[in-house]
Amino acid sequence: MFSYNVKLAVKSMRRNPIMTALMVAAIAVGIGVSMTTLTVHHLMSGDPIPRKSDVLFAVTMDSWDPLRPFDDDHPERAPHQLTYGDAERLLAIAAGKRQTAMFESSLIIEPSGGDELPFEAGARVTANDFFAMFDVPFIYGGGWDDSADEAAEAVVVLTKELNERLFGGRDSVGKRLTMQDTRFQVVGVIDEWEPTPRFYDPINGGFQEVNELFIPFSLTRSLELISTGSDWGWKVEDITSFEQWINSEAVWVQYFTELESPGDRSEYVAHLDAYVEEQKKLGRFERPMNNNVYDVMEWMDYHEVVANDAGVLVGLSFLFLVVCLLSTVALLLTKFVGRKSEISLRRALGASRRVIFKQQIVEVAVIGLTGGLIGLLLAVLGLKGIGYLYEAPPGLVRLDWVMVGTAIAVSITSGMLAGLYPAWRVCRIAPAAELKTQ
Amino acid sequence: MGFRPMVSALMRNKTGAILVALQVAVTLAIVINALFIIVKRVEKMNRDPGIDVENVIITYVRGFGADFDVVDSITNDIDLIKSIPGVVAATVSNHVPLSGSGSGTGLRVVADETVDAVGTARYRWSEEGLDALGAKLSRGRNFYPEEVDYILPESNPPAPPSILVTQELADDLFGDDDALGKTVYWGSMEPSTIVGIIGHMHGSWVNWDKLGNVVVQPGKPAYTTNKYIIRVETGLRDELIPIIEQKLGESNRRRVVKSVRSLEDMAARSYRRDRGMAIILTVVISLLIGLTALVIVGLSSFHVTQRTKQIGTRRALGARRIDIVRQFMLENWLITTAGAALGIVLTIAVAYWLEISFELPRLDWRYLPAGIVGLWILSALAVVVPAQRAASVPPAVATRSI
Repeated sequence: MFSYNVKLAVKSMRRNPIMTALMVAAIAVGIGVSMTTLTVHHLMSGDPIPRKSDVLFAVTMDSWDPLRPFDDDHPERAPHQLTYGDAERLLAIAAGKRQTAMFESSLIIEPSGGDELPFEAGARVTANDFFAMFDVPFIYGGGWDDSADEAAEAVVVLTKELNERLFGGRDSVGKRLTMQDTRFQVVGVIDEWEPTPRFYDPINGGFQEVNELFIPFSLTRSLELISTGSDWGWKVEDITSFEQWINSEAVWVQYFTELESPGDRSEYVAHLDAYVEEQKKLGRFERPMNNNVYDVMEWMDYHEVVANDAGVLVGLSFLFLVVCLLSTVALLLTKFVGRKSEISLRRALGASRRVIFKQQIVEVAVIGLTGGLIGLLLAVLGLKGIGYLYEAPPGLVRLDWVMVGTAIAVSITSGMLAGLYPAWRVCRIAPAAELKTQ
Repeated sequence: MGFRPMVSALMRNKTGAILVALQVAVTLAIVINALFIIVKRVEKMNRDPGIDVENVIITYVRGFGADFDVVDSITNDIDLIKSIPGVVAATVSNHVPLSGSGSGTGLRVVADETVDAVGTARYRWSEEGLDALGAKLSRGRNFYPEEVDYILPESNPPAPPSILVTQELADDLFGDDDALGKTVYWGSMEPSTIVGIIGHMHGSWVNWDKLGNVVVQPGKPAYTTNKYIIRVETGLRDELIPIIEQKLGESNRRRVVKSVRSLEDMAARSYRRDRGMAIILTVVISLLIGLTALVIVGLSSFHVTQRTKQIGTRRALGARRIDIVRQFMLENWLITTAGAALGIVLTIAVAYWLEISFELPRLDWRYLPAGIVGLWILSALAVVVPAQRAASVPPAVATRSI
C-alpha cells in the first residue's frame, strides 16, 4: 500500500510539474537558508570541550585603577587578564587541580636546512598543564615535564602543520630547532585540534587557528618574550627595561585553572581572595575585593563569542522558512482543490477518507524530503560561501551530523505541517455534490 | 465592475487568500528589516577614512639574531623603499590605521586624574607619516624633521612637545573652542601642545564609535616588528608590492619580511563581518522576493485555469478584456494590501526584537512606505501575465461543456 501511495504521489507530482517544482524549491530554499545560519550559530555557541567545560575556569582578579573600573560598560567586572607577576605567583601557589598562565607570542624559526628562509611562527607561551587540562591530542611525544617548567628548559611542542613544514611530518621528538638564537628540543607534536570556539583565548579571537607552537611560560623572562596579543594598562609607570615591564601593573597574561568539581569554585575564589589580601598589604589591589572565575561557557558569554549578527541571521532565516511553508501550504491547497473531481471519483469507487488522507500525506512527505535533501546541498554551498566571506580557517565552517539530522527532521516535519490542512480539506469533499457538477 | 464580485470570489477561496496575505506580511517584515541592516552596513563600509587607501602599501618586517641593529635596519629599509620609482612617501609607524590592531590612550584638557579622559587611537610616525597615508592637515603645521627620533622598546620617552590631533578628537576635547595651540595631558599628566589639526582621519578599530579620534606623536618606533606605511603613485600599487617584497628580502637576510599588502586589503579584512552580513542578507532577500513572486505567479495562473468557465461566462455577458485583467489585478492588490497592513505590524515587531536582542539600530520608519510600494509593484508584475492570459479566454468557452 505504501509503495502504491508513493507511486500515486509521483504520478500526481508529475501531472503538475511547475507546481511541484515550486513546492520543492520553496522547501529547499527555506531549509537551505535556515540550516546555513543555524549551523553557523551552532558552531559559534557550541560547547568546545563538553566533558570538562564545567570544571575549567578562567581566573580574573581586580588589580585595576582605584579611580575607575576596567570596563565602564560592566563596572562589576575585573580585568579579563592578569599581570605577569600575579600569574607567576598564582602558578606557584597551584591552588587548583591543574593550572596554566599563558599568552600569545611569536618567534622567528631558523630552519637548519640551507634553502628555507627564516619565518615567523605564532607561539602560545604556557605551562605544561595546558595539554592535560584542555585534552590536547598528540601524534608524537607529549607535553613537557614539570621539571622543564621549573627550570625554564627550551622545549617545544609543534602543531601537526608546523611539524609537516619543518620535519616533513616525521616523528620529530628529540629533534632540535633554532628560535631566537636558542636551541629548542621538540618534545611533542599535537594532532589536528580545532576547538570551536577557541575557548581558551576568546580575547585574541574565538575563531582562528590554534597557535603553531607551544613553549614553557617560564621562558618568558630568559627569552624576554613579549605578548603579541592584547595588553591593557592603567598605571603610569616608568618602564625602560623588560624587567620593569613584567613587574608592571599592565594586564596581559591569561590564566585558567581546572578544579576537581564545579562545586570547588567558591573555595578557589577564597584562595584568590587570600592572595589578594596579601598583595593589599604591599599596597597593590586598591579596588574593593573583586575576584571571579568563569567556567568555559560563562567565559564565552563574557566575551560575546556568538556574534549578534549570527543571531539576527537565524531569526530572519526562520521567518524565511515560515514564508516558504506558507507558500507550500497555499500551493498544496490549490493543487488539491483542483483535484476535487478525481478524489470524488476515487471516493465514489470506495476509497475511504483514511486512504485518501494517507495518500495526500505521502505525497507531501515525498515533496518535503526531496526539498529537504536539495536544501541540505544548498546549506553545504551556503556554508562554503560563508567560510569564504569570513575567511574562516578551512574546515571550521562545516555541516556536522547533528545539523544534517536536524535538517532532515525539520524538512519532513515542516512538509507534514504544510500538508496536514490541505489533506484534511480534501478528505472532507462530498463526492456526490462534486460529481454532480460535472 | 465593483468590489463585490471580487470579494465574493475571494471569499470562496478564503484560506488561499489568507495564506498569500500572510506570506506577503512575513516577506515584508523580513525584506524591510534586512534591507535596513544592509543599508546601514554599506553606509558604514563607505565612510570616508580620510586616507588614500587605494594607493597605500603596508609592510611588516621583523629582525632576529643578537647582532641585529633595528635602527640601522629601519633607516636602510626606508631609504631603499623611497629609492624605488613610483614611491611617493614612506614612514615607519607604531600601528596601521584601519588594520584592527592599534594602541589607545586617554587625553585630558586638565592635569587631574579624577577627570575622565577622552579615548583616542594613538600613532607614532615621522614627518612623512601624513603624506604616506595621504591624510590632510586642515590647519596648523606638520612635524619638523628634528622633532622625530627613533623610539626603542626599552626607552620610555617623555611626552613630545608637539602633537597632531584630528578635528573630531579636538571637538571631543575642547568642544567649540579652537584646539590649535592648546595643551593636552597624557595619563602621566605630562603636557603636549597641539600644533596641527588633521581634518578627518580614521584610526585602527572600525567598530569603535570613536573611530575618528586620532592623536599622533612624532617618532620612529623601533620595536620588534617594524610596520612601514608606503604611498605610491596612482595605479602602481599592485605592480610595486612584489618589487618591494623582493628588494627588502634581498637587502637583509637577518630580517623576515612578514607581509607586504595593500591597505585596501587590510581595511577590507577589518570590515569583513559587515561585508559578509550585507552579502548574506542580499542573497536571502533576493531568494525571498524571487520565491514570493513565483508563488504569486503560480497561484494566479492556477486560478485562471480553474476559473476559465467563469471568465468565459463574464466575457459572454459583455465584460471586456480589460475588465478581466482589472479583476485579477484588483483581486491581487486586495490580498497584497491586506498582507501589507499585517506586514507593517510584523515588521515593527521584528525590528523591535532585533533592537532589543541584538543591539541593532532602530528601524528608520521611511523604510515602511518604501517597502509597501515595492511590494505593490512586485505583486502587480507577478500577476500581470496570468491576468493577460485570463483576458484572452474566448467567450465561447462558456457555452461549451467540459
